Amino acid sequence: MALILVVDDEYLVAIMLADVLEDEGFEVVTASNGQLALDAIEVRRPDLVVTDFMMPAMTGLELAETLRADAETAQVPILLVSGAQGGIARSRPDLFDAVLDKPYQTNAMIAQIRALLN
Amino acid sequence: MHEIQRLRSGIGGLDEILAGGFVTGAAYIIQGQPGAGKTILSNQIAFRHVADGGRVLYVTLLAESHERLFQALDGLAFFDRARLGREIAYVSVFQTLRDEGLQAVVKLLRRETKRQEATLLVFDGLLNARDRAETDFDVKTFVAEIQGQAAFVGCSVLFLSSSSVRDISPEHTMVDGVIELDHTLVGVRAVRQIQVRKSRGSRAIGGLHEFEISDDGISVYPRIESLPRRDAANADVATTRLASGLPQLDELLGGGLPTGSVTLIGGPTGSGKTTLGLHFLARSTPAEPGLYFGFFETPARLRAKATALGIPFPEGEGLTVLWSPLTENILDKLAGELLDQVRAQGVRRLFIDGFGGFERAAAHRSRLIEFFASLADQLRDIGVTTLATWEVREIVGTDVTAPAREISAILDNMILLRQTEADHRLTRSISIQKVRDGHFDASAHALDFAYGGLVINGSLSRVSPVVAPAAID
Repeated sequence: MALILVVDDEYLVAIMLADVLEDEGFEVVTASNGQLALDAIEVRRPDLVVTDFMMPAMTGLELAETLRADAETAQVPILLVSGAQGGIARSRPDLFDAVLDKPYQTNAMIAQIRALLN
Repeated sequence: MHEIQRLRSGIGGLDEILAGGFVTGAAYIIQGQPGAGKTILSNQIAFRHVADGGRVLYVTLLAESHERLFQALDGLAFFDRARLGREIAYVSVFQTLRDEGLQAVVKLLRRETKRQEATLLVFDGLLNARDRAETDFDVKTFVAEIQGQAAFVGCSVLFLSSSSVRDISPEHTMVDGVIELDHTLVGVRAVRQIQVRKSRGSRAIGGLHEFEISDDGISVYPRIESLPRRDAANADVATTRLASGLPQLDELLGGGLPTGSVTLIGGPTGSGKTTLGLHFLARSTPAEPGLYFGFFETPARLRAKATALGIPFPEGEGLTVLWSPLTENILDKLAGELLDQVRAQGVRRLFIDGFGGFERAAAHRSRLIEFFASLADQLRDIGVTTLATWEVREIVGTDVTAPAREISAILDNMILLRQTEADHRLTRSISIQKVRDGHFDASAHALDFAYGGLVINGSLSRVSPVVAPAAID
């Protein structure tokens, strides 16, 4: 069972996505910002990271840069979910494997995750 | 004197009642019930601050998602998605508050303010912080710490709070200013009002001011009687006279309307008030611009009336027509539109048809006297000669009294139009009730409609015409 790390400072967004992914059979861990996401990754390396952009302490962009810079985590697929920074993220395919604009359909999210995991 | 640095809201009326804007580095509470407009107001201020070169940290403590907030703001002119995540960052500290408490939030905000290099911090959800606090003291400490560390780096703070309107919260003592937004019913009509309840170290114009929310965001209309007079320095007592448009009326007035004065035409419906105004405006020229500011007759009906009576209507050649239908108007917005137009066009002849349109727009009728007094003062200060109508109730009758005692007192001159019935025939008359500091013919004269407009005939008085002494005010 694949482990997905959901990173979002917005509590409801994070837990709702976690519920949806768990219903799809994934194992899910959540973190409320990039810094806490790094702490979680230390404990257990996820198979995929879904992250928001604007967050306190460490943004999704900074998180991706940190993960890519570390050989241990450089290959973990990162899916960015954003309301407004989709453009910034799409200009950095080196950091993000996929970008989904908010608001998104859960089906599109699940399909994207499955595609990245295969 | 030391000039206070200001963070301008960019909302003209709000900066005006705040004596120039928020004080830079100070902390304010913006409170109001849900739906009062706190979120729109704070975002509008934030985007204006960004446009002015500032950087904003917008912190939420609510469970509502930022995306829903952005969707709600999408239709508003000031909102710009391209700024998100750059000059303005939205972060949620809901989980920090829930898991670690107020102290952790304070610490996080200090780091985030620095990281974002924020010069404005908006903290949405003070009520949630209060719920999490164990005592009032904790809340006050929290507010004091946030504002203290922000002030240290020169960052201004807006705390948004959903407290009920009449609530005086303990944290009010900790901030520099408290602004309250209210959404209330007056009769069946919804009225939005803003009030500066506290303003430390900066004079603010207190009391309730109406505001509205449109696609442009929030517009605030300060009560005109509460504002300092702008053109008072220009005002001098005029000694010249301006032709009313009816030579016979000029004779009764003792040589025309005193330049820069305000004249009320009182009379029942159908007595010729608007027609008198058309005569006045017929003299408008590009060098002596006229303005029709009305509520009751559409521009088309007005044109048709002038044509039917054979009175020139020089629209576009000196005459401007502004018509505000009697829908739910905001009193001070109307006054602002009127004064702006008069100033912008250099209007010399103003006809207001009529004061009743302002009266209908008033959410609080008790302020009407002060409102009209202020409006009249400002028109005099500008130096425009004004004719305004006031409809009196009695359609037919001999004992028509002055419309409203207090209203008459604040106007310079008064002309009364009456209709009396004798031998089953309606007779119209015109009489001058008052000309400030001037001699006038006080007897009633017969008034008739003819092609070409109003015709003033002989005195209806059996005694020889009386000349009233100059009114002593």
